Amino acid sequence: MLSDTLPKAASKTGEQIAVQIDGVGKSFAGTVALKPIWLKIARGEFLTLLGPSGCGKTTLLNLIAGFLEADAGELFIHRDLVTRVPPHLREIGIVFQNYALFPHMSVAQNVAYGLRTRRVSKVEITERVREALALVKLEDFADRRPRQLSGGQQQRVALARALVIRPRVLLLDEPFSALDRNLRGAMQVELREIQSSLGLTTVFVTHDQSEALSMSDRIAVMSRAQIQQIGTPDEIYDRPQSRFVSTFVGDANLFSATLISSSGKDVRLKLGEVGLDLTTYQSDLPAPGPVTLFVRPEHCRLTEAGSPGAVPATVALAVYQGSYTELYLDCPFADTGRAMLRVPASTVMAPGTAVGIALPQQGPAIFPKE
Amino acid sequence: MSKRPFLGWFASPSILIAFGLTASFLAIIQYSLRAHVPGSLDPGGFTFDNFTTLWHLAYGRAFMNSLLLCIWTAVFALLIGYPLAYAMIRARSGLLRSAILLISLTPLFMGEIVRTYSWMIVLGNRGFLNSVLLKLGLIDSPIGFMFTMTGVVIALVHFTLPIVVVMLAAALSHIDRNLERAATSLGAGRVRVFFTVTLPLSMPGVVAATSTAFAWTFSAFATPQMIGGGQVSTISTMVYQVGFASFNFPLAASLSLTGLLFAIAVLALFNTGIRRLEKYGAH
Repeated sequence: MLSDTLPKAASKTGEQIAVQIDGVGKSFAGTVALKPIWLKIARGEFLTLLGPSGCGKTTLLNLIAGFLEADAGELFIHRDLVTRVPPHLREIGIVFQNYALFPHMSVAQNVAYGLRTRRVSKVEITERVREALALVKLEDFADRRPRQLSGGQQQRVALARALVIRPRVLLLDEPFSALDRNLRGAMQVELREIQSSLGLTTVFVTHDQSEALSMSDRIAVMSRAQIQQIGTPDEIYDRPQSRFVSTFVGDANLFSATLISSSGKDVRLKLGEVGLDLTTYQSDLPAPGPVTLFVRPEHCRLTEAGSPGAVPATVALAVYQGSYTELYLDCPFADTGRAMLRVPASTVMAPGTAVGIALPQQGPAIFPKE
Repeated sequence: MSKRPFLGWFASPSILIAFGLTASFLAIIQYSLRAHVPGSLDPGGFTFDNFTTLWHLAYGRAFMNSLLLCIWTAVFALLIGYPLAYAMIRARSGLLRSAILLISLTPLFMGEIVRTYSWMIVLGNRGFLNSVLLKLGLIDSPIGFMFTMTGVVIALVHFTLPIVVVMLAAALSHIDRNLERAATSLGAGRVRVFFTVTLPLSMPGVVAATSTAFAWTFSAFATPQMIGGGQVSTISTMVYQVGFASFNFPLAASLSLTGLLFAIAVLALFNTGIRRLEKYGAH
């Protein structure tokens, strides 16, 4: 499941590696925070560490930054071994969740901080601070104090401060979680534009799956102190390799089924009396017996009750969402007792109506029963 | 009224205390404006003479000594207290944190007299400190700590340290660790992080601790009286001497009153300092 293959973009430029993590792991007082992992991040890549809290994503970020020292393994940044290099010499830019702007300094002084530690000349500092603030569209705010800025503006200052030192890697620790929804979307687009225009290697930590899907070149889904699956957003969304990934990223309908037989990627299943012949994307299939069948809601279709091959269900609740309606169905085979389908907004379905769920021939997956 | 039915009951003790304090304060003001009748404890008629008497050199020296004691005590309490508070907040081991807290708080649990006597034992010419220094061959003859400013400052630093450590620890614990991490990621080493981020952000705490140390030292009596032994006269020892050796209550009253105004002026100065620092946005 662990894959250290590089994305296509990187192979074109000769597979330049920005960060290489070789068996780095960390425990705190006997509790494993991060099992040893192997990971290569290409130059210019936007990699997202996605997972619930406590999954080890922040530990990994802190290990790359150097705020934590690895128990084992080696870490390389731009081919330099940095495992024992203290954080202030790693040439890394960080944007924190709470931005961590210095409250006793002006915006310009905040941005200049990293240049002054590098003993850059005064003339150059002025010029580069101006450039950095222009990049985040805050030229007119140079003399303000951080507390006089809005959340979005503070975040841009934090970004400018991290970028002005021309870091080898940019680390983002849940930078959007404090912003309201509209601003969050705008900042995501802006950050992605800046990141790709500078060709900046970026490691982004979040627990928000939609953020991960919309921004990343690759996503590493983490849970229980390890990477569960790593791949491009569409790989993660369309071909999850485990039950955890399938439910953590996007919506999933999970059905209890019995695997009768399989040959290659073709499987024969039974849901109660309903027999199904499907083709999965998996190369690794569980042994015949009780399994969990995974389908995305948008791949399910609503049909009449009793149609051949349709899973029986009853309408429980219709939730109008504007451009579509979410239809919640009571289904005896659904793992949680409920399945969800998206239907055109004009669809009117009274609760209690008996319906059928038609599953697609291609695209579902089968996970071992937990 | 109905919302806080017990407010009156709860407030009554504080009203009693406030009444007592105001009454004694008014008594002191009243005494300070009355003439001293030698050989009598009862004051004479109305006069401003007590305050003009205070222009004498001896009283000026007492004010000077008090101020110097405050400054030196505050400086050394800060120099010792800051690292202690920093270690207490940042130590990874809980045991070390508790140990620092316990050691720095012990002076609070001792009575003032007991604590001062202990210092007399340590600081005397044949005391612990001099014996050790002599044994080690670091000095040839005992250093005179007793009856000197140095000795008084040492004991007063011990006296003020708990409050300074606690106040600095409170200020340091409120500094967001991410600010230091941000500075580190921007290329600042430990020393630079401390002087550009930690120290400036803890300044409100430093000013608050200094002003409290000032007030504590200013009002200290037993320590300068016993360790100073009459050689280091401060406002408080002077009040005692004038009041209970010469029984000149009116002069003692005016001396206390002037001392109080002096202390208030100094603390007011600190307060404006704090307010100016708070404007800079340190929490």
